[in-house]
Amino acid sequence: MVNATKKWVFLKISSVILIPLMLWFIINFVSIYDKNFDEVLVFLTKESSKFLLSVLMIVAFFFSALSISEIFEDYVHDEKIKNISIKLLYSSAIIIPFLTIIVIFNLNI
Amino acid sequence: MENKNPLSPHIQIYRWHISSLISISHRITGIINIVALIFICFWIALLILGEQNYEYINFFFQSFFGKFLVIGITWSFSFQILSEIRHLFWDLGYGFEITTSKISGLIVIFGSFTITILIYILGRQLV
Repeated sequence: MVNATKKWVFLKISSVILIPLMLWFIINFVSIYDKNFDEVLVFLTKESSKFLLSVLMIVAFFFSALSISEIFEDYVHDEKIKNISIKLLYSSAIIIPFLTIIVIFNLNI
Repeated sequence: MENKNPLSPHIQIYRWHISSLISISHRITGIINIVALIFICFWIALLILGEQNYEYINFFFQSFFGKFLVIGITWSFSFQILSEIRHLFWDLGYGFEITTSKISGLIVIFGSFTITILIYILGRQLV
């Protein structure tokens, strides 16, 4: 399988996983975003929330990195800037969800 | 090795159609969503720093701009979900006809606003 095809398959698989996760997250986020510290913690420390939010973070950043790299490929002329941007994008797509998941699993009521 | 692939033409040379509007909006909402997710990661990180730090962002979320931002993120997520479903149908080989494509484009535009309202009502349990 060529790289472009692999990328496309990964994008499609991640988008199928993301659709229900995004719906779940946005409904819950709307219900808790302005609640107090304890109420938000109660939601985020549930085992189901920890698991679903972690999967959402991994898949969403993975999906975004792949799709935003397409935008760089399409519109950035300079090869050097393009390569650096893509490397930065991929690194942040690993670091940000990784740190967030550590935080999620260290939250306690 | 130098990349010899041609660059895509920039968007300003095309005449606007529903399909182009949805296409560029799909990309823009994709970027908005990842920025929103980074913001949400920051929000979660503030929780571990304790109640006092959390109060800053809570104060923002209770303001008009905070609520506007959350509704904006909800719309952006809704748009992306519907547009992604449209793409998945295309991947399965359905909806390529011009009329069908226009109708599905309109469903994405109007549906995203409808879903935003429904999510907000459901989330706030206003019914």
